[in-house]
Amino acid sequence: MDDREGDAGGRTPLLEWIAAGIGLILATGMFGLLAKEALSGESEAPPVIEVVARKVTPISTGFVLEFEARNRSTAPAAAVVIEGRDAGGSTSTVTIDYVPAKGTATGGLFVKADPANGAIELRALGYQTP
Amino acid sequence: MIDRAATPNRDYALGLARAFAGAILFGLPLLMTMEMWTIGYSARPGRLLAFLIANFAVLVVLSRFGGFERTSTLVEDVLDALAAYAVGIFAAALILTLFGLIGPELSPSQAIRMIAVQSVPASFGAMIARKQLSGDEEEEGDKDQDARSAGYAGQLFLMLAGALFLAFNVAPTEEILLIGYKMSAWHGIALLAFSLLLLHALVFAIGFTGQEEAPEGYGAWRLFLAFTLPGYAIALIASFYVLWTFGSLDGLSPEAVVGALVVLGFPASVGAAIARLVV
Repeated sequence: MDDREGDAGGRTPLLEWIAAGIGLILATGMFGLLAKEALSGESEAPPVIEVVARKVTPISTGFVLEFEARNRSTAPAAAVVIEGRDAGGSTSTVTIDYVPAKGTATGGLFVKADPANGAIELRALGYQTP
Repeated sequence: MIDRAATPNRDYALGLARAFAGAILFGLPLLMTMEMWTIGYSARPGRLLAFLIANFAVLVVLSRFGGFERTSTLVEDVLDALAAYAVGIFAAALILTLFGLIGPELSPSQAIRMIAVQSVPASFGAMIARKQLSGDEEEEGDKDQDARSAGYAGQLFLMLAGALFLAFNVAPTEEILLIGYKMSAWHGIALLAFSLLLLHALVFAIGFTGQEEAPEGYGAWRLFLAFTLPGYAIALIASFYVLWTFGSLDGLSPEAVVGALVVLGFPASVGAAIARLVV
């Protein structure tokens, strides 16, 4: 019909092949990754969240304890409640919106006792299935 | 005037630039929707994969109906669909990175899934960019496109594409289920009736303007049976498929599922009706 519609791709611009090639690589990569995860079982395992202290900053009312929540499992967790408890039993809590599967999320707790003394115990209390 | 055949690469680059603009234009509302950021890793990988493949199939067919470049063979359609995917993935990754939503705190697998979900609307936008953003070649393209989209199956396909696109745009939000819960059964019936009425009005008013094959002798009643009812069915199926993909229907009672379908069926039927204008 017009000059663009050549036969058998002979007049297909080189750029078109390049763009399509990039698309093919990206799409098959994406598909492949998802297929691998789908086949490896949409695991029924629960999220496993470890909380590790990263940094302590003294402030006028006590300390800020920054932490990292690491999810070891292939299951994501939402609304994860993190608690820090000092030796005296007083607690600070915070809720993290989302900890991706095999991913991390960070946050901080305001605490009274100096975490440098190793007295703050950090743990995840619970989560919501996303 | 420059000989067009001599600058095919330049023409194609222009098409890619338009596709990129289309990807951003149509992808942006969802790129800025919070639920879309987490849906990538909360959705089941198998369902997400099936949806991405379905999206690719829709792109291949859409390419024929008015992609960012005119095509005549299946090979070209597949090439264009792949290019649209590339543009969609690139645009989604770029914007998510600019927003600070993708970073080292995500595992590569999470980041890829986040991009994968966003690449659906972005690649759709990239594909239909020619029609939406092309300007001067519009009229010639329109005639051509009308010829290509002639036929009942083509009409239904366009309805499906429009319904999928609009349903996909609103389905990720929690509001779909919330509205379903807020509505009584009477509200549901009224919304269903209104969706049908609106779909019919749109099909009747804009569906066939300026087309030779506008069905002569098709009365309002016949149109209703031939296009409105199938259109609404397509809208409901598209709604169900999108909600199922996102896992929104898991664990819901049948009543709640129907409620959500009626709610999402409303934008989906509008999408089905105006598909011919957008695509």
